[in-house]
Amino acid sequence: MKNQNLDLEVHHVTRVEGHGNIYVNIKKGAIERCEWTVPEAPRFFEAMVLGRQYNELHHITSRICGICSIGHTLASLKATEAAMGIPISDQDLKLRKLALHAENLQSHVLHLGYLVLPDLMGVGSVIPLASSHPDEVKTVIRLHRMANEMSNKLCGRTTHPQRLIPGGFSKLPTMKELKDIRKELRDSIPSIQAVAGLFKSLAPKLPDFVRETEFIGLTNPNEYALYDGELASTDTGKAPVTEYLGFTNEYIIAQSTAKRAKHNRESYMVGALARFNLNYDRLSPMAKQAAALFGLKPVCHNPFMNSIAQLVEVVHSVEDSIRLIDEVEAAGLQSQPEYFKPDIKTKAGRGIGAVEVPRGILFHDYTYNLKGACTKANCNIPTNQNHGNIELDMKALLPKLLDKTPQEIELNLEMLVRAYDPCISCSTHYLNVNFV
Amino acid sequence: MRQPPSGHEKLKVGFNMKIIAKEDFNNFVNALINNNSFNVIGVKAKRDKFTFAPIDSAQELRLDYDVTLLPPKKYFFPQRETLFTYDLAGGFSAKGQAAEPKRMVIIGVHPYDIVALLHMDEIFRETKSDPYYFEKRDSSVIIGVNIQKMSKWNFSPYMGTATTEYGYDIMLTDLGNRYAINVGSEKGQELLDKYAKNVTSALARDIQLVGQKKREIMQLTQQKFDFPTELIPELLRKNYEESSFWERHSEPCLACGSCVLVCPTCYCFDVKDNPDLTLASGERIRTWDGCLLEDFAKVASGENFRSTRPTRYRHRYFKKGKYLYDRFGFISCVGCGRCGSNCLPNIANPVDLFNDMYHNTIGTVTAGAEPEVQIQTNESINYVPKLATIIKKQAMTHMETLLEIKLDDGSDLGHKPGQFVEISVFGVGEAPISVSSPPTKKGSFELCVRKLGSVTTKLHTLKEGDKVGIRGPFGNGFDAEFLKRKDLLFIAGGLGMAPLRSLFNYVLDNRKDYGRVTLLYGCKEPRELLFSDEMIALASREDVDFKPTVNWCPENETWTGNIGVITTLIPQVDFDPDKTYAIVVGPPVMYKFVLHDLRERKVPDDHIIVSLERRMKCGVGKCGHCQMNEIYVCKDGPVFNYSKIKGLPEAL
Amino acid sequence: MKPKVAFFDFAGCEGDQLQIANLEEDILTLLGQVEIVAFREVMKEHSDNYDIAFIEGSCTRLQDEDRLKQIRKNAKLVVAIGSCATIGGINSLKNYRDSDDVRRTVYGDQARLFDTYAARPIDAVIPVDAYVHGCPMTKDEFLLVVKSLLLGKKPDIPNYPVCVECKKNENICAFERGQYCVGTVTRAGCNSCCVNEGTICWGCRGLVDNPNENSHKEVLIRYGQTVDDAIAKFRLYFGWQEAKR
Repeated sequence: MKNQNLDLEVHHVTRVEGHGNIYVNIKKGAIERCEWTVPEAPRFFEAMVLGRQYNELHHITSRICGICSIGHTLASLKATEAAMGIPISDQDLKLRKLALHAENLQSHVLHLGYLVLPDLMGVGSVIPLASSHPDEVKTVIRLHRMANEMSNKLCGRTTHPQRLIPGGFSKLPTMKELKDIRKELRDSIPSIQAVAGLFKSLAPKLPDFVRETEFIGLTNPNEYALYDGELASTDTGKAPVTEYLGFTNEYIIAQSTAKRAKHNRESYMVGALARFNLNYDRLSPMAKQAAALFGLKPVCHNPFMNSIAQLVEVVHSVEDSIRLIDEVEAAGLQSQPEYFKPDIKTKAGRGIGAVEVPRGILFHDYTYNLKGACTKANCNIPTNQNHGNIELDMKALLPKLLDKTPQEIELNLEMLVRAYDPCISCSTHYLNVNFV
Repeated sequence: MRQPPSGHEKLKVGFNMKIIAKEDFNNFVNALINNNSFNVIGVKAKRDKFTFAPIDSAQELRLDYDVTLLPPKKYFFPQRETLFTYDLAGGFSAKGQAAEPKRMVIIGVHPYDIVALLHMDEIFRETKSDPYYFEKRDSSVIIGVNIQKMSKWNFSPYMGTATTEYGYDIMLTDLGNRYAINVGSEKGQELLDKYAKNVTSALARDIQLVGQKKREIMQLTQQKFDFPTELIPELLRKNYEESSFWERHSEPCLACGSCVLVCPTCYCFDVKDNPDLTLASGERIRTWDGCLLEDFAKVASGENFRSTRPTRYRHRYFKKGKYLYDRFGFISCVGCGRCGSNCLPNIANPVDLFNDMYHNTIGTVTAGAEPEVQIQTNESINYVPKLATIIKKQAMTHMETLLEIKLDDGSDLGHKPGQFVEISVFGVGEAPISVSSPPTKKGSFELCVRKLGSVTTKLHTLKEGDKVGIRGPFGNGFDAEFLKRKDLLFIAGGLGMAPLRSLFNYVLDNRKDYGRVTLLYGCKEPRELLFSDEMIALASREDVDFKPTVNWCPENETWTGNIGVITTLIPQVDFDPDKTYAIVVGPPVMYKFVLHDLRERKVPDDHIIVSLERRMKCGVGKCGHCQMNEIYVCKDGPVFNYSKIKGLPEAL
Repeated sequence: MKPKVAFFDFAGCEGDQLQIANLEEDILTLLGQVEIVAFREVMKEHSDNYDIAFIEGSCTRLQDEDRLKQIRKNAKLVVAIGSCATIGGINSLKNYRDSDDVRRTVYGDQARLFDTYAARPIDAVIPVDAYVHGCPMTKDEFLLVVKSLLLGKKPDIPNYPVCVECKKNENICAFERGQYCVGTVTRAGCNSCCVNEGTICWGCRGLVDNPNENSHKEVLIRYGQTVDDAIAKFRLYFGWQEAKR
């Protein structure tokens, strides 16, 4: 209906993490207002870590997010280790990469199966699907459980992983546990293929919407970058991680408690699609096949395809984890004393840790004094970086939806937000406070 | 220092000392490991500490250790154990624990831990024997090793447990490149015969060397008692009331339970139900508990019988050094030093405490007489309840409901008046409730249930026809035979009427066997009177003098009887103290006043019988929760002759 | 009739609600016992007609109090899940920042600075019927509380320190390893999971009912911490509970 009036207020979008609102006002077919705002309570993490010891920071910042805890913890540890020159062994590096794969698996499967699938199946949640499509739901649950058991064996638990400490792991998995993980990963491939098949059949329901966007993430010549790499933008190319502030350029807007970011354009996107666009060549063979199944090629500018990029990453994480475990086995698992805690000499310094978490690139930036207490901290969260892009996408998508019913418009705008897999409560981790 | 005897094979004369090279010993161990019928456990290193754990090869053994984090008791009395599983769907079934298919061989047990197991044997066998413990104990093999290194907290030489002549199947002494073997049982001999090679007889110098090493062990202790440890029970007895002493020592106590949880002779446990998510099935488990923990002695009504740090702290020492000594004849501490080493505020070392107590005690302390130990074992404990049905449910007051229950197998409960049962609501738990009906009532029995905690609240929601579990009867009950031909003065306060009724109605059912019968019954207000119909009937009986009272009567209720606390009734009764026996049951606060008034009327202490309440879990005197001083309320009570308990500080 | 349940979140990381998703196959069994009528993270539908409300996250703004009070009105039972909801959690660390004498300048909208106050647990605003402690809560304890509520019984949550579980699990005490632990005053129920994973107890489940704090602080100091260190350790999770004492 081209000349319609519509006042749409979605207060607290459902099936996303955290609280976000959509405001749309259309008068006689003209868009007067289209906004994405975040009313989430700010959480003050930068305030919380000041004065705390270097061996506490990862514990505190893990609490920024319950879903990307492993990622926050690793970014935090990388920052602390960079600031104080704390080395980690090759083996620990491999195990940390495995942990990040486990997190990606868990988060993406949850997002795809519980948050996105209901829209594609035309229901309000996964709950009715448990009765109407029990096999599919059980498959999703099985994959989710496998990912969690992988994190449990590697890090202690998925949410707020205890084993990740400055300098390594407080406890190692046994070789038997790693072999068990590998077997589960191998055995899961048919299930993943089933899920891919399901999404392929539903893919036509994903809107065919394109808006040229800048994508930012980590990049690494040797692997599909999740744990380590340089900064990269599809517009401007590579840069060292230490220059991240020049990439994120965070700013406050009036109606949101979450800040926004911009780089070469008014906004940019991070997340699975960004990583896919930047690092396609380094995907595992099966992951590339999965992408081909959906016709997904770099550079794709359809934000709805972020979900498909996540599915591709699920395949990659499975295949790459198997490779990593093979490497650990070949080198032989080096043991360490129980309740391991490396000897660390504190020193003053600043360090930046950048890691790709399921929703995009995450930065932790800490400064320590001689005694090992934190004097300054900054965290740039992926979803912060996406907020601007979400709104601009919304503004570009809305005109194309004007001939649909109000319910369809609402659904499409919500699906757009959901496609980003936002983690909103993480993104309101702080206000810009200056301590004088 | 006397060690517990028996139950366990003593060293058989005729087992000569043997020698085995260390390499052959390792082969022996590996042969056991490779044999599918054994579960081989040994002492392993954990960082710079040691634990008992399953071993994959003899190389992992560290027989030169000083002390393990937890004693080997965890294999016989595990941290968590399933008592039974239940399934309510489609009829009821309950399964006790399955037998272990493999025999345990535990290698490296130090003598003090061996003696501790002998203590546990006595304790788990007393009166009713614990099948879960003995099933594991009887089938397992203990291979001990004489101490090479002693932890700085260890004082076993003072407790007579640094070496032991029995309690093991095999005992090893390290002689450098070889072990001396003392065989302690047929079981040990068989194992050696079957799996060990190159076992030779010991030479004279080997025997001499072993003797010398055992003497040297005594010198390894870094602890020192300033007095002979035989004096401990008497020392404790003299210091029970020294509040400032106990307060000073216990002030830093964190109630963390570490001292009792690492102790090789502690055995208190808690019992819980663990239903599954469907609520239709589940399990009942027991887990380690400790008297030092804050809520250990708390009952459903919220009252905590040991609510302060000094009382809890004191109880542990008394239990180990006095109560168990009086009951079994040995001090139940083997001097392993684990408690001291695990106490962060450092208040748990018995050596420090007893030395301080000794120096603070005025006057000489001499050992008391050896206790008379009379232990019998009657039968096995059954933790699995019988299924029963609620055949009648009648609300009596706003808080109490009377349930009439019939055992599904048709049998009578067979109880004595004053005994109690443990009633289960599967998934919620088990609660002790006194039987309210007399044994003369056949076919079913009655429980008066006050709505207090989880189980009783749930019971109030059940309906006629619903199923419950029943274990028991437990406790000693009233001696109705002894009371024949005596004049009886029944005094019931509030809910105390419930257990009292089992005896009272029994007496009425056999009225001619008893003398004068008087019942004094007091409640807070008229609407709280239990069994009101029966009370009204009593009023018209000629052969019973019934006097009820209420503390007060609210405006909207009618009451023509006495108003005042129960003691106001006592002067209204004319009785001959020499011929009269008073049976008193009521809330804790009532006893002090009633007992005082009875004694004023010259009722002899041994003519007064009371029934007490504590937190009761197992019902058979094992889990420790109902303990007051040295008495287990569930087993030695709940009925007590006042003269026997008037000296017990924790009783009234 | 299956009881109706609803899930709400305030200032938190959503880690506790993730544990519900982590129930995996048990979710299906749970759905056989309760009817979920509101759970914003997972479903579109929302109903205000619920029997049991599960709330995650702390209350950090005055405006959130109204939302909490409304939930309390709608529900028969309110259950706080996770440390932020049960004891204030790590959010309460920031309360000490405010009380320090520090001037701040804010870029942008000034009003938002005043839009926050001392982070507090749910029961500081509304009465709470049951608690599932932990950061995050464990699946087992969540199910224990759910089963207890379904059985009409008060959940059996320990009132003893984590030391009990550490000793049962045969851990080597943190203090013996040169580290500092607050397990001696922290409520057990987690099965000493963090120490089992090779670290220490951070206190996320809150203090036991009657902690012997003086004794614990003396232990910390005797093992080498300064008074300030000891106080700082307590502020990590006990910030709100300490302030109340």
